[in-house]
Amino acid sequence: MLWKLSLTGIKSRFKDYLILFSGLVVASMIFYMFLTIAINPSFISHDVSASTDYLNFTFAFGIVLLVLITFVYLINANSLLLSMRKHDYGMFMSLGAKSRRIGLLIFLETLITGTLATIAGIILGFGLTAIVSQLLITKLNLQITHFVVIYPQAIGWTLVFFIFMFFWGAIHNVRKLTHTPIISLLKEDQKPAKLGHHPVRLAVEAVFGLLLLGAGYYILGLPLGMFLLIIPGALITIVAGTYFIFNAMCISVINFLLKRKKFSYRGLRIFTLGQLKFRLHDLTKILTIISLLFALALGAITVGLNFTTLKDLANESIYYDNIVVSSSPAVKKEVAKLHVSSEQTYHYKESRKNLYFMRDELKKQPLKDKKAYLAGHEPRYKTVNLALSQLDKPDTHANNAFSSLLGSSKKIKMVSRSGWRSLSGKRHFLSLLSVKDFEQDYPAMLKIQQLQLKENPHYINQFNESKPVFYQLISNFSSGFEFMGFFLGLAFLTMLASTLMFKVLSGAARDQIRYQMLYQIGARAQVLRTSIKNELGILFLLPAVLGILDVLFGLKLFRILLPNPYHHLWIPFTIFIVLYIGYYAITIKLYQRIVLPEQEKAKEKKQALA
Amino acid sequence: MTEILRVDQVTKTYGKRGEKQYQALKGINFAVNSGEFVAIMGASGSGKTTLLNILSTLDKPTTGHVFINQQDNSSLNANQLADFRSKQIGFIFQDFNLLENLTNRENIALPLTLQGVPASRIDPLVDRITSRLSITQIMNKYPAEVSGGQKQRVAAARALVHEPAILLADEPTGALDSKSARELLDTMSDLNINDSITTLMVTHDPLAASFASRILFIKDGKIGEQLLKQELPRREFYHQLIEHLGAEV
Ligand SMILES: Nc1ncnc2c1ncn2[C@@H]1O[C@H](COP(=O)(O)OP(=O)(O)O)[C@@H](O)[C@H]1O
Ligand SMILES: [Mg+2]
Repeated sequence: MLWKLSLTGIKSRFKDYLILFSGLVVASMIFYMFLTIAINPSFISHDVSASTDYLNFTFAFGIVLLVLITFVYLINANSLLLSMRKHDYGMFMSLGAKSRRIGLLIFLETLITGTLATIAGIILGFGLTAIVSQLLITKLNLQITHFVVIYPQAIGWTLVFFIFMFFWGAIHNVRKLTHTPIISLLKEDQKPAKLGHHPVRLAVEAVFGLLLLGAGYYILGLPLGMFLLIIPGALITIVAGTYFIFNAMCISVINFLLKRKKFSYRGLRIFTLGQLKFRLHDLTKILTIISLLFALALGAITVGLNFTTLKDLANESIYYDNIVVSSSPAVKKEVAKLHVSSEQTYHYKESRKNLYFMRDELKKQPLKDKKAYLAGHEPRYKTVNLALSQLDKPDTHANNAFSSLLGSSKKIKMVSRSGWRSLSGKRHFLSLLSVKDFEQDYPAMLKIQQLQLKENPHYINQFNESKPVFYQLISNFSSGFEFMGFFLGLAFLTMLASTLMFKVLSGAARDQIRYQMLYQIGARAQVLRTSIKNELGILFLLPAVLGILDVLFGLKLFRILLPNPYHHLWIPFTIFIVLYIGYYAITIKLYQRIVLPEQEKAKEKKQALA
Repeated sequence: MTEILRVDQVTKTYGKRGEKQYQALKGINFAVNSGEFVAIMGASGSGKTTLLNILSTLDKPTTGHVFINQQDNSSLNANQLADFRSKQIGFIFQDFNLLENLTNRENIALPLTLQGVPASRIDPLVDRITSRLSITQIMNKYPAEVSGGQKQRVAAARALVHEPAILLADEPTGALDSKSARELLDTMSDLNINDSITTLMVTHDPLAASFASRILFIKDGKIGEQLLKQELPRREFYHQLIEHLGAEV
């Protein structure tokens, strides 16, 4: 009997239930994907280069963040579940159901909902993992032979984590419900909120909040040497500052606006302000968390995308695009495919201690190099000629640069053409290529290097600092970060926005009565809609504004890793804000559908209340 | 005497065609003149709330017409209806229907701000009605901080602040203790007599009904006979009403 009641209860709020359920599915799907990619052995230990250690590290870091946010998210989802079912449970109990049976019902309902969502998420996660890993493999130019999408260990851990969370949530729900008097279960929705804030205390807290936030931003700008102080210091001050700003400052501002009657006595403004005041008070903690998550998510995307600038760095900091030292037919065939724009070839003879060059050849085709300088804070590179006269002078810049192109520590000697001919020793050549478009020819150039290495593994000394190798290193590193930042950012955004959405929607039943009253005293539907848009708009805007500020100041920390963390800031910001606004729009739609019922639905509700 | 409200052959059937249908109102006819205090009395389930929702334009009759100030409600679109409600009608409900996130003053000001009354004129209008209802002391409190009787006065102030053509009340004393109920009814009667506020109240409570100048009886969705107070003192009108009800059974 109770089961039947329980099912009908769920059916009556099916749409809300569906939102919650799909939120949980998405959470477990993302979690599974992350875990699979992170712990899949064929991804971690492959043969391309050591730079995947970074990838490994970034994924581990990502998982920690993901566990944290999933935790917060699940707690909120659980409280939404509880608030949705509270009234029903209260009714069952008032009908005489034993609280132990109800307890069991709640427990199983929470656990079953959670487990089903997790399983659905994992199954969908297979698909997501397949797509994302493919993207990752092509992006990183990895050669992976047996990456498995269905990875039992990841399935296991995802199930363990989620079911543990739901188990815990279920116990929490049971305790909460069976210790609440039935009457407040039934009437929870009408419980008036209390705001016992003294204006002076409010003002003091508001100023305090601003000071703390300011201090946090100041700390973020401290010299990076104080790194160990910066992170905890900034975290504490910013969290506390954000909390007080929501709890005191925003409420003070609303009180101020309410007193300015020229402003507030217009249309539904007093109502919107009153709603906001109570909402902000209720949601202070959540909004604080959300603004931090917003900062993390936006920061992750910004930093992730910024890592691509490292690739430009690789491209700009090395002059020659490729080095060719072998004249085997296979290599020649590949070189012929390149879009070469210039080619400089030098011949030399190798003795036991020395490398002999023809001065002539080097004079005709001067060696070039890139030289770093600072333009403001940004490192830039300019092309310079290596001085011919210094090439054979040990410990000069020109000599060092030339040696590294040759991959040898032997002495460089300059001789005349005729003198060179008469020298004995092994003959070599060094061909330095520039191509029209590095990115376009990059795969071919990597292949040329691999072909040459196959002929003689010794060449590695020479290629170590070549552009393709450096570029590959940086691009693995940065693509890993880029991908990670982007994906974590999106995962965070999804969860933080749904957390806000859940919070708003879980109070919707209570708000519905309010909108009903406004409708009764003659507020036009359009006026109600506008009021909702404004109210929720501000609710979404506040954590976003603080989150954006956090990111703007927080990016300073990445000066260590990135040449210019603020480069092309508008790209990640635009992507992120557009998605966030999308969430806002969806929340409005769902909320309006609940609180602004059709004429017919409105009557039913009234009848039920009467 | 001008006619404020006219109800003409109103029926209301719940349930869509093809589904189980229930006719809650079966042809209601009556009129209320300006300055009258009319009570519609009936048992629970007799259709009182249904009728009041139709009068207040929150719901549409299945057939028939409602005229307020000679205006046919059915000829108005949704926005016109909203404007009509905000100008012509004042409501009091059993469960107060105050917005608990607004102070009492803000609650009362709301109908005026919705109508676009200039901000400078709002507070004087609010002050006038609240001193008339003796609730000036609690204006800066929230509804949750005052008693049920006071809440209902705030609701009454909100219903009257914009000087509607008619005050509609649905069991206004239903959630009050008997002392607060008496006080509210005294006030409503006082407002009716001294401020000529046209009032239509639905109730199942004979005591509440006895404060009216005319009582209509509703039963099974139909209006039966009516009882006029004429020059009787309220107490005697009450006894007459009880006798009348006793004879019915
Ligand atoms: N939305 C509705 N759908 C179906 N039946 C309804 C609805 N509203 C009211 N009724 C029925 O109409 C009758 C009159 O209800 P109502 O007007 O609320 O009575 P009262 O207010 O006098 O107690 C009742 O039998 C009730 O069950
Ligand atoms: Mg009723």
